[in-house]
Amino acid sequence: MAEQLRDTAEPSPRTSNGAGRAAELAQLRRLLVGPEQRRLAELAERLDALELTPDALAEHLPDAIALRGSRDAQLGRALAPTVETALRESIRRNPREIATAIFPVLGPAIRKAIAETMAGLVRSINRAVEHSLSLRGIKWRLEAWRTGVPYAEIVIKHALVYRVEQVFLIHAESGLLLAHVSAPELAVPDADLISGMLTAIQDFVRDSFRPAEGATLRSFCVGEHTVHVEAGPQALLAAVIRGQAPDDVLLRIQDTLETIHLQFASQLADFSGDASPLQATRPLLSHCLETKLSFEHSRTPPRRAILRWALPLLLVVGLLGAWWIRAELRFRRAIALLRAEPGIVVVDASRGWWRLHAAGLRDPLARDPATVLAAAGLSRPVLSGEWRPYLALDSGMIVARARLLLGAPPALESALRGDTLALRGTAPLDWIARARQATLPPGLARLDVGAVEPVWPEALDALRRSIGESRILFAPGAFDLSESATLLLRDVAARFSRLIEAAAAAGGVIRLAIVGRTDPSGTSETNESLARQRVDAVAGRLASLGIDSALFSREPLATSQPLPAADAEIRARVNRSVSFVVSLSIGPITPGGR
Amino acid sequence: MLQKKICMVGVFGTGKTCLVQRYVHSLFSVKYLSTVGVKIDRKEVRVGSQTVSLLLWDLEGRDQHHDINPSYLRGAHGLIYVVDGTRRETLDQLSELRELATRTLGDVPSVVALNKVDLADQWQLDPADESALAAAGQHRVRTSAKTGEGVEATFHWLAEAALGARSA
Repeated sequence: MAEQLRDTAEPSPRTSNGAGRAAELAQLRRLLVGPEQRRLAELAERLDALELTPDALAEHLPDAIALRGSRDAQLGRALAPTVETALRESIRRNPREIATAIFPVLGPAIRKAIAETMAGLVRSINRAVEHSLSLRGIKWRLEAWRTGVPYAEIVIKHALVYRVEQVFLIHAESGLLLAHVSAPELAVPDADLISGMLTAIQDFVRDSFRPAEGATLRSFCVGEHTVHVEAGPQALLAAVIRGQAPDDVLLRIQDTLETIHLQFASQLADFSGDASPLQATRPLLSHCLETKLSFEHSRTPPRRAILRWALPLLLVVGLLGAWWIRAELRFRRAIALLRAEPGIVVVDASRGWWRLHAAGLRDPLARDPATVLAAAGLSRPVLSGEWRPYLALDSGMIVARARLLLGAPPALESALRGDTLALRGTAPLDWIARARQATLPPGLARLDVGAVEPVWPEALDALRRSIGESRILFAPGAFDLSESATLLLRDVAARFSRLIEAAAAAGGVIRLAIVGRTDPSGTSETNESLARQRVDAVAGRLASLGIDSALFSREPLATSQPLPAADAEIRARVNRSVSFVVSLSIGPITPGGR
Repeated sequence: MLQKKICMVGVFGTGKTCLVQRYVHSLFSVKYLSTVGVKIDRKEVRVGSQTVSLLLWDLEGRDQHHDINPSYLRGAHGLIYVVDGTRRETLDQLSELRELATRTLGDVPSVVALNKVDLADQWQLDPADESALAAAGQHRVRTSAKTGEGVEATFHWLAEAALGARSA
């Protein structure tokens, strides 16, 4: 029919109204085959589209990208290298363009990154402070110190949830190691041997148990370690995990292996022993290394912790308090003792943990401060401090200093009355003389030795005794001196003169009592008169012999104090006599002396 | 560093393990051979300016009950066949071993270690045997675990051959 139509519609040059017929024919054609023609054109267009012309691609590309992107991440991974190259090229050509484009996002991104870094830092500082200061932290440090294991290892031991310690990328066919990463402190020198053996074990298990096609040994446990193996067509990824890793860690391992297969497909396919092109996978592998710690599980409930520590703490505080109070009391008592001690002036005092410090002035004659404290039972704490010398004017020190200076005999008692030092007791005559002449120490104006009884020097005492034993005898009723009496008196006078000189040299004054006696016969008046006459006769003779009569005292006792004798006759004869009593006294104070 | 997987195969008792024991770095004990059926050691060889790390897969010896496990051969870059020169039958089984290896691996460099050469009085191979190997294009080295003869040469030759195969 088409043939027929075309023949019919063909315009004849010979026809007069040819143009009008052609138009009619065209209209007729449209009416008859128009729908078919349009259909044909559409089909032709579709056929063109099947060859993916740029137009068609341009029309469907966005949808296609969106569709694939919603299914998985493969498109992104595939495009990433190209996009990176394009970006690099663009930046190389015109950096300003990219800088302008990303400027609006760069600022907030930097701020966010800084904020997150700071937050992380604060968290880690908090954690560090918490662990360093907590009892547990101290306990772990002690454990580290005791065992010699690093502190970080001890923390991991107690707080580890899981830790991906090593990741091996292994060539599936040969078992050769392609890349390996491990936690910083782990040294794994034989990773290549372990890699080979892991593959061999995979083969061994597969051959031994004949699992379904494609099945592999996914994981095995050794103690607290789990080895998780992900198998890909070209490579295996084996992760050594300490502790219990959650699923997302295993998913990340799986994801990493897929990424490596995608990005390093050609390097894996061409691998023949040279692993250097695959070292670029290390950042991806390192991303799998992770440590997760938890400090929650071992925390003791606060109340129990308080109860557990409260008692020892109270005990320690109590002991320290008691020790402190005791030390303070001892300190106060020690200072009070030192203050009360003559010759010591405490200027500065303080208390240390083990020492007592006191400083001030000390008279050289005062007791040593440590001796003072020791005498009171305070030998601890040890006393330290500097004592500067001074002269103390308290009575005890004045007396002590004076006694020392004068060399006073220990038996001599001393007492201070105002500025006078009064001495009492017995002392050698020469000492008394020296003491009276000595310069007195500060605080003393006068020395009173009136109550001191002088002790005769030995030579003088012998003279005194010999004079005392001499006796001038008289005839009954007579008072004249016989020849022998005159001789004896001469001797007495000589001895008395020597005695006066020696006593004067020693600062003493000698007195001579001339004692006259009579026998009991006769009246008392007669006897008294006779006794006086006898004393006068002797005194007169002694004066004539050069003895100063001012030194005499006349004592006519007559019969009142008779000398004893066994026989009456002898007694009468002995009492018809004059005898002598020599006494020694302290001489008068010489001008300038005391 | 370059790594090459080298498998050592042979009949049970040819002295494979003893042959290399002193010359390699070991991490795993000999026990692995009888349990997993393979023990892996490392031997570093210098070829020119390069150091090649040979990962030696010492495969459990073949006996009448166990054949070589072909899984362990996969991906190998070279083979060491160990023959006990004092036991002729170990040479006779060489062709079977080679057939198995070729089936799994294709054509890879290989060397035949004619071991226990120190036991001259018990030596059972005649020159014709070695000529036959040479004629078949098979490189061979006389070795002794006792004296160490030929061991380093074997490793060196194989490392070179594996490198050559790689560059070809």
